Amino acid sequence: MRAKLFLAAHRFWWWLRQVTGDAAYENYLRHVSRRPGNSTSPGGHGCELVETAEQFYIEQLNRKFSRISRCC
Amino acid sequence: MKKALSVVMWAGIALLGAAGLGAIALERGEKLNATWFILASTCTYLLAYRFYSAFIASRVLALDANRATPAERLEDGRDFVPTNKWVLMGHHFAAIAGPGPLVGPTLAAQFGYLPGTLWLIVGAVLGGCVQDFVILFCSMRRDGKSLGQMAREEVSRRGGYIAMAAVLAIMVILLAVIALVVVNALKSSPWATFTLAMTIPVAMLMGVYLRYWRPGRVLEASALGVALVMFGVVAGRWVGESPSWAHVFTLSGTALALILIVYGFAASALPVWLLLAPRDYLSAFIKIGAILALAGGILVVRPVVEMPALTRFVDGTGPIFAGKVFPFCFITIACGAISGFHSLISSGTTPKMITNEIHARMVGYGAMLMESFVGVMAMVAACALPPGVYFAINAPAGIVGHTTEAAAKTISGWGYPLDPAYMVQLAHRVGEQTLMNRTGGAPSLAMGMAQIFSNTIGGSQLLAIWYHFAIMFEALFILTVLDAGTRVGRFMVQEILGHVWKPLGRSGWYPGVLLSSALIVCAWGYFLYQGVQDPLGGVNTLWPLFGISNQLLAAVALVVATTILLKMGRRRLVWVTLGPMVALVAITMTASYQKMFHPDPHIGFLAYARELSAQLASGTIPAAQAAVTSRLIWNARVDAAVTGALAVMVLLLLGEALVEWRKILRKSAPVVLHESPYVATQWAEGD
Repeated sequence: MRAKLFLAAHRFWWWLRQVTGDAAYENYLRHVSRRPGNSTSPGGHGCELVETAEQFYIEQLNRKFSRISRCC
Repeated sequence: MKKALSVVMWAGIALLGAAGLGAIALERGEKLNATWFILASTCTYLLAYRFYSAFIASRVLALDANRATPAERLEDGRDFVPTNKWVLMGHHFAAIAGPGPLVGPTLAAQFGYLPGTLWLIVGAVLGGCVQDFVILFCSMRRDGKSLGQMAREEVSRRGGYIAMAAVLAIMVILLAVIALVVVNALKSSPWATFTLAMTIPVAMLMGVYLRYWRPGRVLEASALGVALVMFGVVAGRWVGESPSWAHVFTLSGTALALILIVYGFAASALPVWLLLAPRDYLSAFIKIGAILALAGGILVVRPVVEMPALTRFVDGTGPIFAGKVFPFCFITIACGAISGFHSLISSGTTPKMITNEIHARMVGYGAMLMESFVGVMAMVAACALPPGVYFAINAPAGIVGHTTEAAAKTISGWGYPLDPAYMVQLAHRVGEQTLMNRTGGAPSLAMGMAQIFSNTIGGSQLLAIWYHFAIMFEALFILTVLDAGTRVGRFMVQEILGHVWKPLGRSGWYPGVLLSSALIVCAWGYFLYQGVQDPLGGVNTLWPLFGISNQLLAAVALVVATTILLKMGRRRLVWVTLGPMVALVAITMTASYQKMFHPDPHIGFLAYARELSAQLASGTIPAAQAAVTSRLIWNARVDAAVTGALAVMVLLLLGEALVEWRKILRKSAPVVLHESPYVATQWAEGD
């Protein structure tokens, strides 16, 4: 029972981090490292590697808020 | 055995839903409990999701689990990101859930609970969810193309431009209307004004935290922000009770409108990380939290619905907005049942994040069902107020009278008893100077929510805190839409200006940024100012205009969807989108015509302008009021022109589509479907 509760809480925490964008940079790094032969080289798989979390965050915000992202 | 159990279960859900709908529609003898609304809506949603959306998914759209989605083919870790379906559902719902489904049903409660509730449920199941789902599918099959791009490719080049112009027009009207709702909620309320003002430094602090201290740590910054905003709600009481501070934060409608206009300009021109983005995070958390709390509160308290099923105002003489139940109930409900704006989200970020085609059903159809449920809850919260109180809060002074006693007499005369002493006491209990004539829907919804919350936690002692929490929650996420919308509007204006002179189109060139920000802010600021100056509170004019533009955009989306279905060879199944499209065109064209040409000055803009002109000419208006009256006449004519322009745009697009449909049906030209080529997925099931 305790293990199930722990698992449910863990899953909820994962979901929350994903849905809020808290894990966006980690996801991005995972995406970059997944591409064969491109884990460290910028631009090797067709998109430029963003180096820092701060740069990634700013770039992500500029993209998000230059198109309709919220509804009435 | 399993199949038999399933049949029994779904038959049971159908019977429960029918009982709920029957109770809502037929019960007249005694007051209804909110449980019936929950039962009717959830059972209908379950049935619609299980059967109707499955039918659309398999027969109409033929979703293919083996076809690679844009998120798989074009994955870049930025825009095209394969996303877990539950995460994407959360993203999509957070994006589509705005103030519309809360404010619209609250205003439409003037007709009674029945018309609005039925439209919220039926409109969503047969219209809104279908639109969101089909547009999401169409965009997903086209690498995430926008509605405008799809209109250009699938209908005609002109159709694409019309769709883009319609989007800009609706944006301007939308921003003005929601700003007006905030102004009316904060007017003469130092507590609410202080609480909302506090969100600006809080958001900026979060912005610095997210940019410099802990880049991208959204949850940490949001937890800090939510705690500070909650403190702001409590501290607002001290401000409201302090004579010197209360004076600072007691602002007139005009002052608030001007502050919002300056704020909108700043939010559009400032770096996005400083104010806009952190406010968006803050607002998303409080929004989802408040919606969940409202759902929980309604389930726990099960409030009795005090509003009758139908009020006398179905005849068109409503004090909140004039016009008969058809078409104005549909126009007013807008987003809770079907929202054209959703088609922009469904053809924006979401289609680029779907991992598997079959998830589009849950994300597109399912998220809209949740939005409709939010609308039903808002309807319950508004209708749980005694009707006299509801009308006292929502009706403008120009109709019910300028004193509490006069208003109580007028409203009681309509058959909804109201004790003026009770209204004074109620205002005192929630820490306000007055609750009379607080048009716009937000204060009455906040009152309904506060009653539900305080009956769940804290009792009457916390009523004032809950009321201001609800006001803050509504105003906060309205302002988020205002920030984000102004910024997107700025980009649209820059795109247009870029055709005139190239440097103006560059998003990094500051003079261009300032000019385009000023233009978009002036556009919605004009309508906001007009609403604030309106002696009838502005809602009577602007909310129908917003509803019409929103529903016209939905008609545009359904025209595009129908064209694509025809091109896909789904002639016999095209009624799925054609039906709601015909209904929406009928509703919006009737409403547009009536708003322009209806002889009743309360409904028709031109009749209102004529009436004022006649009064001015005959000298019945004092000389001191002449300038204001001339402005009102001009405003009414502008509103008529805007309504006409929106209707013409949609008729033009429809004309373009009819030509295209004729070609397809007669096979007079080769059918070109602009889908991306089929690529089989490389992912195993469960990836």
